[in-house]
Amino acid sequence: MIYCLFAIVTIISIYTARHYWFTLNRLFGFQRHPYIDTDTADWPQVTILVAAHNEEKVVSHILSALMGVNYPQDKMLVVPVNDRSTDRTREIIDRFCEQHPGRIRPFHRTDGKGGKAAALKDAMELVDTEVILIFDADYIPGTGLIKQLVAPFFDPEVGGVMGRVVPLNVGTNLLTRLLDLERSGGYQVDQQARMNLRLVPQHGGTVAGVRLSALREIGGWNDNSLTEDTDLTYRLLLAGWKTVYQNRSECYEEVPETWQVRVKQIMRWAKGHNQALANYGLHLLFGKHRATFRERIDGFLLLGVYIMAPVTLLGWILALAVFYAGVAPLHGVIALLSITAYSAVGNFAAFFEIAAAARLDYTRQRICLLPFLILGFGVSIFSVSRAFVSQLMAPLTGAQFHWDKTERFRTTP
Amino acid sequence: MSHALATAGLFALAGAVFLLPLIPAIVELRLKRDAQALNVIQQYAGDIRHFSFGFRSYAAELLTPLQQCVDSGRTATGMLPHGDRFLLLGRPEPALLLPGGSSEKVCDLVVAAGTDLTLPDGMTFMKEMYASRELIGGANCTYRAILGDGNVRLDCASAVTRWVHAAGTFQAEQDCDLYGRISSDREIMLRDGCFFQRLHAPRIVFGRTDTAAEAQGRGPSDHFGGPGATSVAASRRLVDGDLEIGRGEVVTGSIVSRGQLHIGAGARILGSVKSNRRMTLESGVSIAGSVVSASAMQIGFNCRIAGPVIAEQGIAIGSGTRCGTPERPTTVSAPTIEVEDGAVVFGTIWARQEGRVVPRQ
Repeated sequence: MIYCLFAIVTIISIYTARHYWFTLNRLFGFQRHPYIDTDTADWPQVTILVAAHNEEKVVSHILSALMGVNYPQDKMLVVPVNDRSTDRTREIIDRFCEQHPGRIRPFHRTDGKGGKAAALKDAMELVDTEVILIFDADYIPGTGLIKQLVAPFFDPEVGGVMGRVVPLNVGTNLLTRLLDLERSGGYQVDQQARMNLRLVPQHGGTVAGVRLSALREIGGWNDNSLTEDTDLTYRLLLAGWKTVYQNRSECYEEVPETWQVRVKQIMRWAKGHNQALANYGLHLLFGKHRATFRERIDGFLLLGVYIMAPVTLLGWILALAVFYAGVAPLHGVIALLSITAYSAVGNFAAFFEIAAAARLDYTRQRICLLPFLILGFGVSIFSVSRAFVSQLMAPLTGAQFHWDKTERFRTTP
Repeated sequence: MSHALATAGLFALAGAVFLLPLIPAIVELRLKRDAQALNVIQQYAGDIRHFSFGFRSYAAELLTPLQQCVDSGRTATGMLPHGDRFLLLGRPEPALLLPGGSSEKVCDLVVAAGTDLTLPDGMTFMKEMYASRELIGGANCTYRAILGDGNVRLDCASAVTRWVHAAGTFQAEQDCDLYGRISSDREIMLRDGCFFQRLHAPRIVFGRTDTAAEAQGRGPSDHFGGPGATSVAASRRLVDGDLEIGRGEVVTGSIVSRGQLHIGAGARILGSVKSNRRMTLESGVSIAGSVVSASAMQIGFNCRIAGPVIAEQGIAIGSGTRCGTPERPTTVSAPTIEVEDGAVVFGTIWARQEGRVVPRQ
């Protein structure tokens, strides 16, 4: 029991050190933005896929925004991927097609396998451009975003691109404010630090791009994955393609406004991530492929982030057990070390990361909400652990692949 | 003190300690002082002319009185709504005379000239300047910003601290320091010793105008396919170590080297190239796509590059090299860029830290 606890503390300490390393790099290290200054070029043809499943509340906003970007009109085709919608999504998309002839080509899907990856996979029949950008329907791109996301593809080593996600509905309630802080930490610090350190920036599947030839090389979209973005990141990495992160390519999104929706979202992310860990983890660490040594280590740690929730819970239980079992001779010290290592110091590292992100974003007051993150942390640790247990039980319970769409809350027309 | 009271006190104290950090959090949650979405979306999309557009609309109300000054051949002063004083010049001035015949070398007025304008040496202009016709600056002058609807020419050792936009040609003589954004709708010419950061024009000439190479009929467009043909090539060759492409070799598709990349003289790459360490292009190399280095890059004489040129450390560009074409303008970007006399870039060149024009070796 004591050795198990030692192992858990060690793993959590590694993640703690990783958080601090990333944060200090963002605060004091060299920042890599190699492609962001590319503002003049012979821009390539690009297809923009907009994944939409029952998105009547938001789909018109992204289509309007895409019609206003500064990318050459004759080189850009928007493909709304209407995935079996039962609301007014189809009607809204078709109206936009009429208003902007030749600029939007809808892909209406009425049956087939559920999930975003499956829909994107089917929509590929409309794609013949080397550069593909992907947005979820609740995103609102700015004028220059398309050029910024396309620019990295001039680098022949780049297979995937990821931009920064910025919540739009921040002030709605405590949850949206906490998610705003979490997104800041995740993108402003975590993703950019991985970019700086030439590690593994993660493809997020939205505000993102992929190179068609790279996608074909790795076998296309994996419609068995719950997080096609994580899956894509690792398959690109193993095939020697880089995914790059562009912190200054920001795009607004809508974050969940209820805890119920948030729990569903994070459980799906956890299951998808764990799926990728099972599929690629060992091969990434020890296999023969094109990833560098540091990409192997960081990629593996990134795959493990959602496993850390049940591991931490187990650690808490073990710490209490060790304490009350009176494991000699250092039980008090061990308990103290264990509890501080993964319930205080470990968490503080993530909090430190988020605080640094708020500073980098030049925001002043929202940092005051930092102590409330313990709530978000509490909900996440139990939700992610629940997802992990349900995944373990799936072979016994016979649970099937199931995609939970994130509910939208926008009410403005 | 009873045990119960002591216990209650302990719990109260512990609760207070726990709640203490939550007080500012609760205040922020209730007051929503910082609950707006981050204002990070750059709607202007980094357009190099953003500030000149802003100044043009700011100074729009000067245009009518400026025309009146031109018609009457006089000079006028006044104050803009935001409090800036302005000077309108309505007649050709052999050298700028400040109001009241001041001989001071510092001008803190917004200057708008309706005719050709020639400025004396050694002046410092603290505010923006608008010239509807040609503007010729004196030597050793310092400008905050210039918007020119005609040609703009700065004499030796002048400095710009923020931006210049010229509808005509922009020319900077030797040893000028051009901080910020310099753009022209026609052409930019920088002489030896000029420092620059961000330049944009259909054609940017460094050093002396050298038309010889283009007159030979080997114009940049001749090397590559049609527009967009190879800018984002589909096929690539990935090499884990260093790679050397031989002299005169022709390679179809893109090349990625995880180590250094050396391309021999006269080689032709019908795709893009990337190196994770130092990249060297010998003279006469032509590349139909982009050139990217995660380290430094040395581009030799008379090379032709169609796509973007990006280096994470620095770029040295040899004389006679052409980046982009008139039909397919491109971007050259790196923290530091050194360009030899005789090189030409069509489009944008952006040195985040320092760009410098150096004499031909």
